[in-house]
Amino acid sequence: MNFIKRAWLNLITRRGRSLLLVLVTSAIMLFVLAGILLRGAANTATQTAKDNVGATLTLSANRQAAFKKLRQGSSSGKPMGKMALNMQPVKISIAKQIAQLSNIAGYSVNVAASANASGFSAISSTSGSSGGPGGMPGASSRGDITISGVSSTASSSNFANDTYSITRGHGLTAKDAGTKHVVIESELAKQNNLNVGDTIKLKATSGSKKTYQATVIGIYKAKSSSTATAGPGASDPANTIFTAYAFANQLKGSKYAGTADSVTFTVSTPGKLSSVKKAANKLINRKTYVLNSDDASYKLVAQSMSSATSFANKIVWLVAIAGTIILALIVILMIRERRHEIGVLLALGEGRGKIIAQFFTELFIVLLVGVGIAGAGGKFVGDKLGAQVMSSQTASLTNLSTVTGGGQQGGPSAGGQVPGGRGGAPAGGQMNGAATQTAKLSAIKTHVTAKYLLELFAFGLLIILIAILAGAGGIFALQPRKILIE
Amino acid sequence: MLKTTDLAYWYENESNVLFKDVNLEFMAGNLYAIVGQSGTGKTSLLALLGGLDVQRAGHIEYAGTDIAKIGLSNYRRRDVSMIFQSYNLLEYMSALDNLMTAMAITGAQHQGEREYARGMLRQLGLSEDQMVQNVRKLSGGQQQRVAIARTMVLDAKLVLADEPTGNLDERNTAAVLALLQALAHEAGKCVIMVTHEAEVARQCDVVLRLKNRQLTVEQTVAAAASGTK
Repeated sequence: MNFIKRAWLNLITRRGRSLLLVLVTSAIMLFVLAGILLRGAANTATQTAKDNVGATLTLSANRQAAFKKLRQGSSSGKPMGKMALNMQPVKISIAKQIAQLSNIAGYSVNVAASANASGFSAISSTSGSSGGPGGMPGASSRGDITISGVSSTASSSNFANDTYSITRGHGLTAKDAGTKHVVIESELAKQNNLNVGDTIKLKATSGSKKTYQATVIGIYKAKSSSTATAGPGASDPANTIFTAYAFANQLKGSKYAGTADSVTFTVSTPGKLSSVKKAANKLINRKTYVLNSDDASYKLVAQSMSSATSFANKIVWLVAIAGTIILALIVILMIRERRHEIGVLLALGEGRGKIIAQFFTELFIVLLVGVGIAGAGGKFVGDKLGAQVMSSQTASLTNLSTVTGGGQQGGPSAGGQVPGGRGGAPAGGQMNGAATQTAKLSAIKTHVTAKYLLELFAFGLLIILIAILAGAGGIFALQPRKILIE
Repeated sequence: MLKTTDLAYWYENESNVLFKDVNLEFMAGNLYAIVGQSGTGKTSLLALLGGLDVQRAGHIEYAGTDIAKIGLSNYRRRDVSMIFQSYNLLEYMSALDNLMTAMAITGAQHQGEREYARGMLRQLGLSEDQMVQNVRKLSGGQQQRVAIARTMVLDAKLVLADEPTGNLDERNTAAVLALLQALAHEAGKCVIMVTHEAEVARQCDVVLRLKNRQLTVEQTVAAAASGTK
């Protein structure tokens, strides 16, 4: 074990050179560690993003089948004008069966209805809030308030992607299922001096046309409530009131009890979306209902995060390769400078392996110090690098979601359609959700763990081994006399 | 102890022969001097005898075994010890550490190794402070004495010295020569020295001259053990 003593003596006697080696090694290790940390954080973030964004299945009435039926009725001689599009609402009992399938994390129910404000006034927009699109069937039954019945506000896409946020009180939860609790928009509340705990009256526009008293439990703020996005003839988005879906059904009429316009299921493992959809299709009458899958945001986030991981991988390898070259050059120069010492040791009969072991031990000690320094500073560099990478990923994803999803994001009653639309997952909302998710990841923090330090150490060992073999190889091929003389 | 048979060495090709047909037997207890003009191959011959290089032709036997069979690394570690004109000490160590390192590498066994090494350095005139100083801080004469002390603490029976007095003044030259004589005559080692100093050579038991690619015996002191041919 004399080579260890020689290594130590050499390091402490030649302090200046040792310090230089420590500095170079620390710098290389620092950047390798930053890359490793960034890669680890990106991997974790990718998994989190995939888990959080997820994929959805939406169960709704089969519109295509309904149109087909309508066309068949028309061909049998009935006049088109006297026929109505008959779309069956989704039965909650079917939704509960689907929810039992494996890989279904949960579901949210969406019911769209309308009502008239009673004892308070709806917000009028310049495009006019009453009447709806003129001439459309059913327009006469449309009220000035848009009702969005949900199982919980948190599961509503607008709240999930932060387009809407609760500013006072609280949102609707499963506990509010059988109640007449409502959550109203802040502008509507301001105009009518309404606050949490106040009651409002809503008059059904169809069925019994009964008036119901509801309690305000929360007030939300819509980040964008411009009527311009809603299109002409639409009710102002501020007139959207969130209620429990059962109450929304009451407003629509008694025949709608236990039904929904659509039910959105969250798939826990997005990769298994197609198999879940296949299993769910077996539980429904496909002539009446249709299941639409949506994993666009999942794929978008996965793609975005994959590129961050790929970037981190490139950093690790680039720094490792550059580090190996730099360190190898230094070691080659150092060993060439010490060829006389090698000659003396060989003349004394020392084995070549032990001389290599001496150099390795010297660099091993230097590496230990370097890894220690890198461990102390790696988190800082990793965080800075991570923030930079993630912000660029978020920016590109946000741009993408604006281009692909912005036009579709009308919110409730967009384009004069049924209030709330499909409620579950409008494409624009999902894209925005992906951007929001990635934006949240921009704050990812790297963590220096024992596993990462071990990985760094293994990298370092490989680097110094390559450097020593490259540096000593040529010299050891010579006879000791040639080393001493030349 | 050490025998060469038809030993030859050349650089690039056979037309550039340094020496050939060297047939000699070196005996323990003698101090040999190899003399000759510069470039005749004295150091090359010593390097071959020390296992630092490989001959082009012929054989070298140590204690009846070809050194190639012993293995050059083993031979250098166990059987031979060398002293160089440029001392060839490990410069990042003290004199004492140089001796300790050489003992560790060669596996030389002495009771109380550290104290044994100290005693040897003390015997060669180094003070306690000088022993633990970095060898670069010692004078040329002191460094050469450290190199000789390194040889003395090893168990090798064969000592080869390449111009050991080349960089020394008259007083240090006499001291080093006395030490080499002691190694041969008192410690019973076989000491072979390359020198260009006639006065130093004259004080050796056998003087060999390398001339015209041949090694010939120039002087043999009567007391010297027989064996040179």
